Parts: sequence; structure tokens; C-alpha cells
Amino acid sequence: MPPRLRCTAVRGLSSAIKPLNSRIATRSAALLIPSTQTPRQYATAAPVSFGIPDDYIPPTKPPTARPADTRKAQLLRTYTSLLRTTPLILLFQHNNLTAVEWAAVRRELRVALREVSAPGTESEGIANHTHIQILKTRIFEVALKTIEFYDPSKVKPTTVSAITGEKVQVVHNHDLSKAAWKAVQEATKNGAPENSTYAQLEPLLVGPLAALTLPSVSPQHLAAVIKVLSPSPPKFPAPSRKKSPGYYDMHMQNGLQKLLLVGGRIENKAFDLEGVKWVGGIENGLEGLRAQVVHMLQSAGMGLTSALEGAGKSLWLTMESRRSVLEEEQNGGKEEEKKE
Amino acid sequence: MITNFITQVSTKFNPFSASSKPARLFLASLPPNARSSGGMTIQTQLLPRNSTEKPTLYVKFKDGKEMNLDPSVLGIKSIVEEVDRHSRILKKAADLANA
Repeated sequence: MPPRLRCTAVRGLSSAIKPLNSRIATRSAALLIPSTQTPRQYATAAPVSFGIPDDYIPPTKPPTARPADTRKAQLLRTYTSLLRTTPLILLFQHNNLTAVEWAAVRRELRVALREVSAPGTESEGIANHTHIQILKTRIFEVALKTIEFYDPSKVKPTTVSAITGEKVQVVHNHDLSKAAWKAVQEATKNGAPENSTYAQLEPLLVGPLAALTLPSVSPQHLAAVIKVLSPSPPKFPAPSRKKSPGYYDMHMQNGLQKLLLVGGRIENKAFDLEGVKWVGGIENGLEGLRAQVVHMLQSAGMGLTSALEGAGKSLWLTMESRRSVLEEEQNGGKEEEKKE
Repeated sequence: MITNFITQVSTKFNPFSASSKPARLFLASLPPNARSSGGMTIQTQLLPRNSTEKPTLYVKFKDGKEMNLDPSVLGIKSIVEEVDRHSRILKKAADLANA
């Protein structure tokens, strides 16, 4: 039997999650317990308590031996947090990869990501925080529903009496709360609305799933990932045999054949394989896009000034020509009068 | 599922349609060493998201029998049943030949 107490270790997707900057500040249920306990006074020398001790565990409900980060509740929290903070998630179907094959896939992914990111820059951080992890499909589906249909800021506070008898206003709006469950049930009563991301992604969430998470939308990193995990020769060729011999390792190749890129969720929108490749194919990454925008705005500005100028110019030209015509007419008229 | 007698599997599906589920589950039920030690060739083609083409699942056995299963009509249970029905015949023959 495994030991019940486990050392805390960084494992699973929880390491991929950034802490939320803006947490909704509400009073938590922990406040129900009085913070300062007043020591009770007893007449007898030895205090005898007849109640159940605080740490009593009923023999029929022993504490779980499952490590905290693989419990369903914790998985759901991890997934909702992941979905809220991660802009780019690629979904893979993994068909019975062995542990050696997973190790090979992760190794090659790391190598490829290191190649596209210069050390000491922001892109190195992105590369370091890119992970591929196996998901619990059903719990991921519930998490997707929760973040789509449940808004924690709209939950009204409830009045609860604390141990001291005082009435306290508390907001139970966490992702495992009854309010979250009710909101999701309400929204998906007649099937999820078709325009929601959940409804679009729902058919993907079948069978064994793995998620590749990138901490920001960075096309060059995405392109590196596609080149390794789902190469398609003209635009995303696999790394060459000379450059990365590890890629042509037997385990890596066996693992690759069993990984299927089925879709992705980029900036809260559902993308298929082609869509993911399109995002990965944005040249020079975000910098390139920015340069394009700047160029577009500049040329638009130039076009605008010339267009505005043009109107004035043409007006001036017509007025000028009209003036000359009028002058000619006047002069001509006078000449005609003189002739008479 | 008995996968020892399958030599070829080829599927085509659109993962964004619900009818691709049986085909994907069939792929997931193939053992990890199917390609290397079983000598199975597995081909998968993913259709784009807006395609309305029907999913297909083609299975070929060692004795040359071919099966074209329709994942949009059959569920994963029925597919496994169909495949196993022929696999059991082959297994019986193989067992008798070895005995």
C-alpha cells in the first residue's frame, strides 16, 4: 500500500498555470470559524469534553489515499484555471503511447522549442512553460462548460450563521460550488448554445486526450510544435535527420504515429487542424504581424492625406478653371460691348 | 478486442462531428505495439472542420477479408463485435493449426 502522506511535488498541469492576477475578492467560507478562540473556563481541574474531537474521522469514511493533485475536485480546479489563463491549447488524441514514447515526444518538443527561442528573452519563458499533458476527458469537458457558462462575479452572497451565532454574508462562488453547477445546468438544459465554444469543442472531447499548452499565442513556437508533433511537408517540415537525430529515434517515431492533432482552442475560439496551421503559419510571429499593421496604417495614412488633398485640389482646380472661364467671358463681353 | 489478426486499418473522419466518435475510439483501442510487433498498418486522415463527408473505417484481416464499417451508423460496441466475430474464426483456426 502506498504511504498516505505524500511529499508535495510539482507534477501535472498545475505547474503550467500562471496565478490569476485579478482574483475576485470575496469573503471566503473559512471566515465562518472564529479566528480568535476564547479559552473556556471550567470549574474542574481537568477539562472534560464530551463532543466529537475536531479531527475525528469516521471509520467508514477514511481519508483518501489518492494524491491531492489527481483528485477529481483538484483536477477540475486545475482545468478551469488552465482554461482561464492559457490562450493556446492544442488537443491531441493519444492512442496508447508507452511511457518511453511520451518521454521521447517531450524531449523532442523541448529541443525544438529551445531552437526557436533566444536565451534570456520572453520567448525562452514561453518555451519553458510549454507542456504536453494527458487530460481526464470528462473532467476537462465539465471544466470547459464551467468557464463558458458560469460567471462567478454574478453570484449573490448568502447569509450564514457563524459558530459564534453571528450572521455573516458569504459568497460561495468557486468552481465546485452549487452556484456553478446550477449555472451550467441552466445553460445546457436544451443542449449547449451552438455559438458557444463549448458546443464547438464538445465533439472533440472523446477518448484519450492530451493537451499541449502554450502560455501565450506565439506563432513561431506554435510552428515549432506543429513541425515536431504533426509535420506536413510543404509548410511545416519535420526536423532533418542531420539536425536532430533524436527525432528519428524508434520510440519517437512510434509515439508520433499514435499522436493525432484533432483541434485546438486559441483565444477562446475553436480551431481545427487547418486553423491551427494557419495560426502557426503567421510569418515572423507577432513581431511580423505588428510590422504589417504598422505598414498598413502608414500606407492608409498616406492614402488618406492624398485623398483629402485630392478633394481640395480638384475643388481648387474647378474653381480656378471656372474663374478663368468667367474672366474670359467678362473680358469677351466687354470686348464685344466695345465693338458695338 | 482481438487485434492479432488485423493487418490494416484506415480511417477518415472529421473530429468536429459527433459521428467520428466510434472511429476515434477504435483507434484508441488498438494496442501500443500494433505497428511494431503486430505488423499492422494504420492510416488516419483528418477531414477539415466544415466537411460533411461521412466517416469511414476500413479493416483488413490476415486472411484477406476486408470490412468497411460505417462509424456514423455503428457504435464502438457494434464495431468491436463485428471485428471480433471474424477474429474469433481466425483465432480458432490458428489454435487448431498449432495444436
